[in-house]
Amino acid sequence: MGLGKAIYNGLKNVCTSLGKHNDALYAVLAIAMFKGIMRPTFTMMDKKSDKETKKYAAFREGLTEVIAFGSYIATHAALVPLSVKWAKKAGVSPKKLKNGVSLFSVCLSAGVIIPAVCNLTLKPIMDGVKKLSEKKNKMTKIPQTEIQQTPSLNIKENEHIAENFSQPIKSLLPAEPKGNLLQIMQKNYTANNNGMRVGL
Amino acid sequence: MINLMANALTSNTIQTIAQNTDACVKIETGLKAVGRPAFTLIDKNTDKETRKYAASKELLYQLLCFGIYLAIIPPIFKEGGFKLAKKIFKNEALPNFKNAKQMLAYHHLAYMTPEERLLEKNQKFLKLITEDLVNPKDNGAKLREYLIGNGKDKLGLHKRTLEKQGKMFELAKGSIEFSSIIGSVVGLTILAPELSHLVLHPIMKFCGLEKSHKEKPAEQQNTLNKNA
Repeated sequence: MGLGKAIYNGLKNVCTSLGKHNDALYAVLAIAMFKGIMRPTFTMMDKKSDKETKKYAAFREGLTEVIAFGSYIATHAALVPLSVKWAKKAGVSPKKLKNGVSLFSVCLSAGVIIPAVCNLTLKPIMDGVKKLSEKKNKMTKIPQTEIQQTPSLNIKENEHIAENFSQPIKSLLPAEPKGNLLQIMQKNYTANNNGMRVGL
Repeated sequence: MINLMANALTSNTIQTIAQNTDACVKIETGLKAVGRPAFTLIDKNTDKETRKYAASKELLYQLLCFGIYLAIIPPIFKEGGFKLAKKIFKNEALPNFKNAKQMLAYHHLAYMTPEERLLEKNQKFLKLITEDLVNPKDNGAKLREYLIGNGKDKLGLHKRTLEKQGKMFELAKGSIEFSSIIGSVVGLTILAPELSHLVLHPIMKFCGLEKSHKEKPAEQQNTLNKNA
């Protein structure tokens, strides 16, 4: 079977299946999924905003659509199984009630559940992500504040240092060095730089 | 109350809407346009001005989506998709529907009982099912006869009604739905965000919801002068 025939049969199957039963959920799920991909992509492509703002906005947009996608599925999964029992009680067609409940679940999600869940969860999640990224930045960069706050040496106030200029400088090397010069220097350097990331 | 709700959800109108991508997406976008700004306004995590700004921006965005949807889905994707499907599936012997509207009217009536199809409120749909519409797979049987018969029994219905034949022409109906889903995705995920970048900020400035860029440098200039 050629590729053309396979595509034709695939398309025919999809169309026939949608013709037999087109759940209200299909279209909204497709929209949420593609929105979750396309909106962050467009935001990241925007050249006017700075990189951090773009990242933040794109993540927020993506997260909103992930919440939407999950909410649609969860509401549908929670309500539609109830329609069978409900149809028996009300004496209506289970198939028709299932279709109606499916549409109702989509409406409920779009109008109430998704905005409510977004209101409740987006801010804490975004705050958490922001804190995490700040923590990560602190670990990777030399904090500017520490550099600025380092007190400058005032020669006038520290005259004893100036007096000692005439004395010979003490060697930093141990009296009985172990290993070669490179190893000793590395040992001294890393010992005085705790917490610094070297070689990255 | 529960029975009333069950009856409402199983009504023909709801059934047609539930099976129609176009109607579902319109309802979803409309509800988003109401729900999202409303929930943004009641969010206590942010200050009043930010809430107002975010809610109006969200409302405008959803209205823009709705406008784009109305403008592109019915004429381009629904009609275009149906015509394309007729070409692609020309060997499948589909009925000779002239357009998507005719197909959807047939489908809407097909969901009803034969008695309901004859009601006055459904005449606008029945009018679209003309005598020339035939099913090639059933020796050229008229589609109108599937729906209301040809007046041979006491109800004015032919024995050969749709229920007995089970002809819903799923392929034709499905092709309209499939192209509508593609149209919805293209319209709402590609066109809407791009257009909103161009349109949203000028509209918000026009409505006084956003300060124009011309005002900002002037303000900055003033503060600089004061400091100097």
